[in-house]
Amino acid sequence: MKKDFQLKLAGLLLMTALLAFTCGKEGNDDGSNPGSTDAFKSAMLVNYADNLIVPAYTDLNNKLGALNSSVNAFLAAPSELTLAATREPFKAAYLSFQGVSVLYFGPASAQLLNNYINTFPTVPTRIEKGIETGTYNFNIPQNSDSIQGFPALDYLLYAPDAVNKFSGVGAAKRKKYVQDVLVRMKTLVENTLSQWNGPYHHTFIASLKTDVGSSIGSLVNQFAYEMDALKGPRIGWPFGKQSNGIVFADKCEGYYSGISAELAIANLSSLKNYYTGANGDGIADYLVLLKKQDLNNAVLAQFDLTLAALNAIPKPLSAAFVNNPALVEDAYKQVQKLLTLIKTDLASATAVQITYQDNDGD
Amino acid sequence: MTVIDQRSFYRPVSIAPLITFRITFGVLMLFSLLRFWWRGWITSLYVEPHFHFTYPGLEWVQPLGNVGMHLLFALLITSTVLIILGCFYRMAILFFFLAFTYVELIDASAYLNHYYFISLVAFIMVFLPANGAYALDVYWRITPRKPLVPAWTIDILRFQLAIVYVFAGLAKLNPDWLIHAEPMKTWLPAKSHLPIVGPWMYETWVAYLFSWFGTMYDLFIVFFLLNKKTRLIAYGFVLVFHLATALFFPGIGMFPYVMITSSLIFFSAAFHAKLLSFLPGVKLQATATHEGTAPVFARKKILSLGIALYVTLQLLIPLRFLLYPGHLFWTEQGYRFSWRVMLMEKSGAAYFTVKDKSGSQVYEVDNKKFLTPLQEKMMSTQPDMILQYAHHLAKSYQQTGLEDPQVYAEVYVSLNGDRSKPFVDSSVNLAAQKSTWKPIPWILPYKK
Repeated sequence: MKKDFQLKLAGLLLMTALLAFTCGKEGNDDGSNPGSTDAFKSAMLVNYADNLIVPAYTDLNNKLGALNSSVNAFLAAPSELTLAATREPFKAAYLSFQGVSVLYFGPASAQLLNNYINTFPTVPTRIEKGIETGTYNFNIPQNSDSIQGFPALDYLLYAPDAVNKFSGVGAAKRKKYVQDVLVRMKTLVENTLSQWNGPYHHTFIASLKTDVGSSIGSLVNQFAYEMDALKGPRIGWPFGKQSNGIVFADKCEGYYSGISAELAIANLSSLKNYYTGANGDGIADYLVLLKKQDLNNAVLAQFDLTLAALNAIPKPLSAAFVNNPALVEDAYKQVQKLLTLIKTDLASATAVQITYQDNDGD
Repeated sequence: MTVIDQRSFYRPVSIAPLITFRITFGVLMLFSLLRFWWRGWITSLYVEPHFHFTYPGLEWVQPLGNVGMHLLFALLITSTVLIILGCFYRMAILFFFLAFTYVELIDASAYLNHYYFISLVAFIMVFLPANGAYALDVYWRITPRKPLVPAWTIDILRFQLAIVYVFAGLAKLNPDWLIHAEPMKTWLPAKSHLPIVGPWMYETWVAYLFSWFGTMYDLFIVFFLLNKKTRLIAYGFVLVFHLATALFFPGIGMFPYVMITSSLIFFSAAFHAKLLSFLPGVKLQATATHEGTAPVFARKKILSLGIALYVTLQLLIPLRFLLYPGHLFWTEQGYRFSWRVMLMEKSGAAYFTVKDKSGSQVYEVDNKKFLTPLQEKMMSTQPDMILQYAHHLAKSYQQTGLEDPQVYAEVYVSLNGDRSKPFVDSSVNLAAQKSTWKPIPWILPYKK
């Protein structure tokens, strides 16, 4: 009798284990959890989605619309005047992109948005070849040799003799290339925005985990990723950090328009905004909730120090690499400090793994 | 070392527990390997990396390339099916042990305690007559039916589980875990999404509860499993504990399920005989009724010696950390292969600079060009990997024409909720440092 009971119980327990195993696996992969109860995290993610992310993509979408109109006006009647009228819209749209750069997960990542519209530097020879032959494929992910997006526009619209190049009989191909670049940028951003206004909105605010692919996990990881990009491609690599001090100024983001420093500052300001959650709750407030006020203060202070150091560099950045290396060096060091805080202290405090890779651990 | 009681150690007992163990082990490994493949980890861990972190003396263990690795996993998966069926068992388990261990030795940054556990268990199983019943080997008369096996074949598995639990428990006896409830205090708020228990995850007392319960569980569960009177209740705790860890920390993967099924080994032969009787065609005797059927063992001395050696090593390896000065969690010298499971929260950021011989040429390293995200993450907090990577950098830069490269690392590490601090001496040329078993001099002392 007793043995039978033992056996039945054990069998039952094993079944439970198997059941839990299967259920556990199913619930594992998407970040959402319908039975979740964390009101703070919920509200924080709603704040991110509704007050920061959707407005940021909407802004970029609008700015791209304005850029598109001004560029089309220029292409219709190329002149110094119409070209000059594209300057502000270009700058505004590029700066606006910095406000969504950190959101490279979910819809943006599914469409490789950042990869397609802001991989820099460009390779002018490849762009020119594309224009000449009329054959170019914008659907291949860019490595470090972009032929589209903002970097391509930066090169084409800020060419020293742009009006000349876009005028006359031979300019048709060049005009078409610019229009194709713009159409693609608009499409990608529109798609991303519509996903954020659609089903992904729910996915994002319902994901209260912190693991790989969760909303909080993605945000913290992208903070680190953007800081890494600031340290490397945006400042460090063109400054010659990888190349024994040999400056590659033309590898800057927005080199031809000369707005590299503005872009970097906009990028970091936007990052700080996402960190604090602006007027609502953000990761900063989450740290306070976790009783990590000291760490939060340290991160905020380092954001300000880094922004100040970036602002102290005379513009354009490409010239400062050579003329004011000490100031660039200082900014670089501050960027590294902020990156360290995010990658180690912040990631640890929020129990987020800084890894863009899925794996087991123990 | 206690002298093994020959008589009780070799006394014949029913093979039933071994059969359950063989089948459940095979099934779990089959799932495990399929999951590993399906998640794309063969590629991301063993095909994509340009460089692998090796174990000292095992630098020659390198992956087999894309096709080779997938083929190896296909063979591993086949071997688990053979193990389940008891078909060419010895060859299958030997292959499984060798191939699985080979895979684990390719890259130290992929080290997991439960992979180590699986390697050890597979090694033990090579010597066990786990195909003595309910096996195709018996059905096809490749091997004679063995209703009885010597007791050590089951005791050694119990010993291995005891090692895992007790050392995992001992590892938790440290101030961070017990007094500060770290890393639980850090990890639990990340679990606030869980239904019902979610809101409690911010409560400090819950972190203490988890820490202390976990310690007590690990330290004592084996003894309650060994005792017939408490066994069933104890197994209930095994289930609750490991299912809870699976629920709270899905990142630990298969570990809870491995422990849940392995712990069945503590049950009696009668229990296993009945459990197995649910399977079709099982005829097993629960007790050793006929002394005459007791198997005869050759080379008892060699076997006893081998077991004694194994047991000694298992007891000593996790204690080797005592030979090193400094804070174990910080230096991690003697940390691996010691059953320190889910014991600390550690993250780091590592920046490397390569200079030429004279120091006039300076290059900062983009880690992404050399390492996968996982490798970079693991390297950033573990000194032996920092050194290996530095050597790899020196070699890579030398190949690009830099003369006698010097490599310097600026590393910051945050441990168990502390703020990040400098980890290694950034003025030391790591290219000139040798890999060593001795205390590593260039690790900066830990400061709370």
